[in-house]
Amino acid sequence: MTEPQVPRFAGWRAIFRGHALPTAGLVGMGLFLALALLAPAIAPQNPYDQMQLNIMDGLLPPMTQTMDGRIAYLGTDSLGRDILSAVLYGLRISLLVAVVAVAAGITAGVLLGLVSALRGGWIDALVMRAVDLTVSFPGVLLAIMLLAIFGTGVDKVIVALAIGIWAQTARVVRAVALTEMQRDYIAAARLGGISEWRIMLHFLLPNSITPVLVLLPMAISGAIVAEATLSFLGVGVPITQPSLGLLIANGNEYLLSGKWWISMIPGLVLVAMVLCVNVVADRMRDHANPFLRAKD
Amino acid sequence: MTPLLQIDDLTIAYRLADGSGFQAIRDYSLTMAPGEIVGIVGQSGAGKSTIGKAVLGLMGENATIEAGRIRLSGHDITRARDVEAIRGRKVGYIYQNPMTALNPVLTIGEQLLESIVTHTGRRGAAARAYAVELLEQAEVPQAAERLSKYPHQLSGGLCQRIVFAIAICARPALLIADEPTTALDVTVQKAVLATLERMARKEGIGILLITHDMGVVAQMCDRVQVLRRGELVEEGATRQLLLHPAAAYTRQLMAAIPPMDRRLDRFDVIERQADSPGRERGIAYLRTARDGFAPSGSALLSVRGLSKTYPAPPRSGQDAFVALKDVSFDVRAGEVLGIVGESGSGKSTIGRCILGLQQPDAGAAITFRGRSLQPGRRDRAALARSLQCIFQDPYSSLNPRMSAAVNMTYALVAHGLVAARDARRLAGDLLEVVQLPRDAAGKMPHAFSGGERQRIGIARALAFRPELIFCDEPTSALDVTVQAEVLNLMKDLREMLGLTLVFVSHDLAVVRQMCDRVLVMSKGEIVEAGAADEVLLRPRHAYTRDLLASMPRMAET
Repeated sequence: MTEPQVPRFAGWRAIFRGHALPTAGLVGMGLFLALALLAPAIAPQNPYDQMQLNIMDGLLPPMTQTMDGRIAYLGTDSLGRDILSAVLYGLRISLLVAVVAVAAGITAGVLLGLVSALRGGWIDALVMRAVDLTVSFPGVLLAIMLLAIFGTGVDKVIVALAIGIWAQTARVVRAVALTEMQRDYIAAARLGGISEWRIMLHFLLPNSITPVLVLLPMAISGAIVAEATLSFLGVGVPITQPSLGLLIANGNEYLLSGKWWISMIPGLVLVAMVLCVNVVADRMRDHANPFLRAKD
Repeated sequence: MTPLLQIDDLTIAYRLADGSGFQAIRDYSLTMAPGEIVGIVGQSGAGKSTIGKAVLGLMGENATIEAGRIRLSGHDITRARDVEAIRGRKVGYIYQNPMTALNPVLTIGEQLLESIVTHTGRRGAAARAYAVELLEQAEVPQAAERLSKYPHQLSGGLCQRIVFAIAICARPALLIADEPTTALDVTVQKAVLATLERMARKEGIGILLITHDMGVVAQMCDRVQVLRRGELVEEGATRQLLLHPAAAYTRQLMAAIPPMDRRLDRFDVIERQADSPGRERGIAYLRTARDGFAPSGSALLSVRGLSKTYPAPPRSGQDAFVALKDVSFDVRAGEVLGIVGESGSGKSTIGRCILGLQQPDAGAAITFRGRSLQPGRRDRAALARSLQCIFQDPYSSLNPRMSAAVNMTYALVAHGLVAARDARRLAGDLLEVVQLPRDAAGKMPHAFSGGERQRIGIARALAFRPELIFCDEPTSALDVTVQAEVLNLMKDLREMLGLTLVFVSHDLAVVRQMCDRVLVMSKGEIVEAGAADEVLLRPRHAYTRDLLASMPRMAET
C-alpha cells in the first residue's frame, strides 16, 4: 500500500558503485580541484608576475626549451607566459567563479522557493514573477546585460551567474515544498505550535532539498561553461585574473596561424573538466529517478 | 473437466536492492473451476497481489518464478512469451483504484472502444453498439451518454463499473480483481460487488478476488484461501471457513474484525505488553496533566454554527462548494465522540477547522473550556497542550528526515516544556507506552511499518498531554489485524489517561467499538446524533440506515 517514494539521497558509495565512467568522472573532478588548489605550489611560474615572463620565450610550441633552460611542457603564449602555469591558475579562477556563483544562486533560490511555498499570497506571486522574468532571458544574454550595467570583475561575474541560477532553483524547490506542505507532518508541526521559521528550516528544507542536490553538479558545469563564454566574449573576468575562457580568447587570434596550443590547451582542459562534472551529474540524476533506476 | 486455472507449487522470489533474494510466494497451489469465485485474503505483504500479477506475467523485472507451474484452461502459461494473447483476451484484470486505472485524458468511449477493437475485431458502429451493451451489463445508468465523458466527470463507483466493462469486453474466462472496492466508499462498495458477481455468474466468468476484507469475501466468494507471508494457511468453502476456521492464524484474522452487533472491551489479538520501568515512567508523565483536566461530563469543546465554503474559481461558472453547513455540537470531557459519513461529507473538515488548520466561514463559534478559539489569533504553544491530532496516513504524518524520538519531542523541546537532554529519555518512555521497543527512538520513520508509525503518531500527540485528541481516520490505512492492535492501544490509553477523543471514521463497525456518542454527517450537515448504540442499532434517519445496510457483513453468510 505504500506509495513509491523518491529515494533518499544515499551515500556516495551507493550512488557510484558499479558505474565505471561516473566514478572516473568523480576522480577527475577531485583531480581538477586539487590542481586548482595547489596551483601556486606546482605551477612552474607565476603567470601574473611580469618579472618572470621573458618576451624572448614567446610562442614556443609544447615541449621546447625556454631561454633559462626549463622545458615549456605545454608551450608559451605571445608574451612568453608558460601555458601550463596559466592553465593551472586559470582553473582556479574558473572553479572559484563557478562554485561561488552556484552556492550563492542555489542558497538564494532555496530560501526564496521555501518562503514562497510557505507564505503564499503576494510574496509567492512576487517571487514567481521575478523567476519568470529571469528565465525569460537566455542565460548568457542576461549575464551580458548585467555585466554591461555593473561593469566587469570576478565578483560581478559571480553575481551575474548567480542571478541566472537562483530562479530555476527557486522554482524547483517551491514545487517540491508545495507538495510537502500537503503532508500531515507539516500539519502536525503547526499543531505543535512550532514557529514558521523552524518549520521552514527543519521540516520543509530537508524534505525539499533532494532535487537541488541532484541539480547541483549540473549547475556547476553550466556555470563553468557560462563563465568561459562570458570571458571569451570579453565581458567576463578581467585580463589580470585570466580564467580558462579568457585564455582561450587570448589564443584565438593565433589559432589559424598554426599556434594551436595557446587556445586548444585551455580549451581541452575546460572540456575535460566539464565532461567529468557532467558524467557525475548524469549518474546522480539517474540515481534520483526511480523509473530509470528500475532498469539498471 | 479441465480446471480454469491451476497453479502448482508456485514459488516466486524478488531480488532485493542489496542483492539478496526474498521469496514472496512459497509452494502455493490453487485449482479453480470455470465460473468459480475464489477469494484470497491476507494481510498486506502476504503476497496476494503477486499471485494475480504472476498469472498475467505482470510481475516486476526483479521478480522471478523459481518453481511451479501456472496453467490456464490446461495451457501452461508459466513463462509464456505471448502474454499479449492472454492479457485482456483470456484473463481480465480489475485494479484497486479505478481513478488511476483509467486514462484521464481519454473519454470512456475511446478507452472502451480501444479494448473492443483490439480484442474482438468489431469496428465502427458495431463496436459502439457493443460498448453500450457492455456498459449496460456493468449496470452503468445512461450508458450511451457516458461514452463521451471523461473519468474525472464520473464517481469512483461508476469508474469501477467502466473498468469492469473493459475487463469483460473480450469475454475472458477469468477475471483477476485486486482489491476492487478498497478505494470506494462503503455505500457504493456493496452495489459494485453485486454487479461484478452478477456479470460473472451470467457469463460464467471465474473470478480470483484478492482482498483484505472478510466482509467482501463473505458477500461474493464460493471458496476462500488464507495467505500468510507467501504461504497458504487454510483453504475451504467460504461459509465453512468463516464460521469454523481451523488454522490459528485465520481465527486471529477473524478476531480482529470489529463486529457490528456488540461492543468488545478489547480485540482478542496477541499483544506484547510487559510493564517496564520506562513504560511506568511514561504513563506517570502522561498522567500528571490529568488533575488539570475538566471534570468528566462537562462540555469541553463546543462548536456552534460552523460552516466552511470553498469559493468557486473566479469566472469558472461553478458554484461555491459548501463543505460544512451550520454544524453545531458539544464534546464532553472524558467521552469518545464519533463522526461518521462518506468521503466528502465534511468529517475531516470539522477537525481541520477546530484545530485551526483551516479558516471556517465567519460566524462560527468554537469554544474550548469556555475560551473562544479565535481563528488566526491563537496562542499556538498553549493550544498545542490542549488539542492534538492523530492523522490518517501514517506514511505522511511523520517528518521523514527526523528520527522517531525527534518527531515526538521536537515541539516540546522548541517550547521549552522538556529540556533537550531529557527529550531522548521521554521519547523512549513514550515508545514503551505505545508498545514499541525503547531503542526504536533513534530509527528514522522509513524503518517502521504503517502500524508502528501510527503508534509513533499517537505517542507524539500524547506527548503534549492534551485534553482532547482529534483522531482523523486513524486506522483506515491499516490492515485489519494492525487496526485491532491500534484500537486496543487507544482503548487502553483512554482508560488509563482519561482522554477525550473525537474519532472520525467511515467504518461504522470501528465507530461502534470505540465511541460513546456518534454524529452522522452527510453532505456537510449532521443528519443524526445520539448515543452510539442508539444510532447504530436503531437508526432513525434514512441516510444512516443506508450507510448501515451497505456494510458488507459476515452474519449474512
